[in-house]
Amino acid sequence: MDIKESSFFQPKELRKKGNKEFRILWSDGHESLYTFRRLRQNCPCALCVEEITGRLILDPDSVPQNLEGLKVQAVGQYGLRFDFSDGHTTGIYTFKHLRKCCPCDQHPNQTLRT
Amino acid sequence: MEQVTNEQVLEVLKKIEDPDLHKDIVALGFVRNLRISDGKVAFEINLTTPACPVKTQMQEEAIKRVRALPGVSEVSVKMTADVRQHKGLDTSALKNVKNIIAVGSGKGGVGKSTVSVNLAVALAQEGARVGLLDADIYGPSIPTMMGKSGETTIRENLIQPKTAHGLKFMSMGFFAPGDKPLIWRGPMAHRAIEQSLSDVEWGELDYLVVDLPPGTGDVHLTLVQTVPVTGAVIVSTPQDVGLMISMKTLRLFQETRVQILGIIENMSYHICSHCGSREEIFGHGAVKTASESLGIPFLGEIPLNQAIRVRSDEGYPIVLAEPSSPIAHTYREIARNLAAQVSISNYASPKLEIVEEPA
Ligand SMILES: [Zn+2]
Ligand SMILES: [Zn+2]
Repeated sequence: MDIKESSFFQPKELRKKGNKEFRILWSDGHESLYTFRRLRQNCPCALCVEEITGRLILDPDSVPQNLEGLKVQAVGQYGLRFDFSDGHTTGIYTFKHLRKCCPCDQHPNQTLRT
Repeated sequence: MEQVTNEQVLEVLKKIEDPDLHKDIVALGFVRNLRISDGKVAFEINLTTPACPVKTQMQEEAIKRVRALPGVSEVSVKMTADVRQHKGLDTSALKNVKNIIAVGSGKGGVGKSTVSVNLAVALAQEGARVGLLDADIYGPSIPTMMGKSGETTIRENLIQPKTAHGLKFMSMGFFAPGDKPLIWRGPMAHRAIEQSLSDVEWGELDYLVVDLPPGTGDVHLTLVQTVPVTGAVIVSTPQDVGLMISMKTLRLFQETRVQILGIIENMSYHICSHCGSREEIFGHGAVKTASESLGIPFLGEIPLNQAIRVRSDEGYPIVLAEPSSPIAHTYREIARNLAAQVSISNYASPKLEIVEEPA
């Protein structure tokens, strides 16, 4: 992948819709609509997942249905950090990871936590 | 005699441009504390890094231009610096760390740790507040190079970094006391890296240099997912193989969209320790060519020299041990180029905008 192809992981527009949903419009035109609950379930931080083994520490079902996103912050040009209503804030979500977590059904080969 | 005005001084200072940020120093807000009395003009130029490559030229040019104004008898220009903070660095124990710079390489044996140590010391010599984290879980070598080993102390639940040569440093080696080789299992390594970032009392730093383990491993990912990284530096040797592998590391960072601050060619040519003559090493210049074609800043080339290694083993980085040697000079130049790239990245990259709309 060269620099140009990495536009695949490049966001064009970031939109927080209330405290329930977050939308990313990507440079290649794809659109991802996440619930904050889903983002919380896919937190990449060391408290939630063992990076190397991929073993989940966080039980996805333990995330409350009504979980909200209170705040979204950009991390440089490469990622986002979320303040969730359960007090969790430690994960930095790279755009690559966010693209991988897209909930639409066009990415059949992905192993997702839902 | 006519009295010179603030406006006249600023007008001539507008002709001076910051070569990295491509704007004049007045528009950039660098000119501060301008005072005029009886034809004596004094002001400060506040740069984005104390390691600015053109600090002296800029100061001389400012003096010359203001001195040429009618009614000016004396000009004094003080050069100061405030390192600008990377956007997104405002939470956690690292909130007073302005920039985190990752140093990586495709494979071991390219002298990456020696480069990290000397760059960190060179930045500190320029007056910056610098930290160095040895995150090489496979073979932490920085304690030896810095002349300090042994366990760290803990105060108020925070690990105290060691200090030497004007900087704070921390090593994965400190987590495994004794001479035992480190065998980290994935999750353990991950935790240790996290700990060495967020549980260490780094205090106020302009630059935290993180020496990554070689290869395209998971430590990179742990780092970018744990702390906001300003950018990455890749160290490569001229040999093709090394370069190819470096490109892999480069791609890894690009995929995560971490800014590439530049590439350094290490062991670039040989300087004879007896006569000082320079001998090219096969493939020399390949890294520069590659960086140009990729549009990535080339930060400089460091020669292969026995003295660098000997000094490192003795716990004295060459920039300190032989500060007037050509190699120390090269290191300082690379450190300034790196600091300039950090300033560019913090100044030029727009903050990603997040639109908020009601549900
Ligand atoms: Zn998490
Ligand atoms: Zn999708």
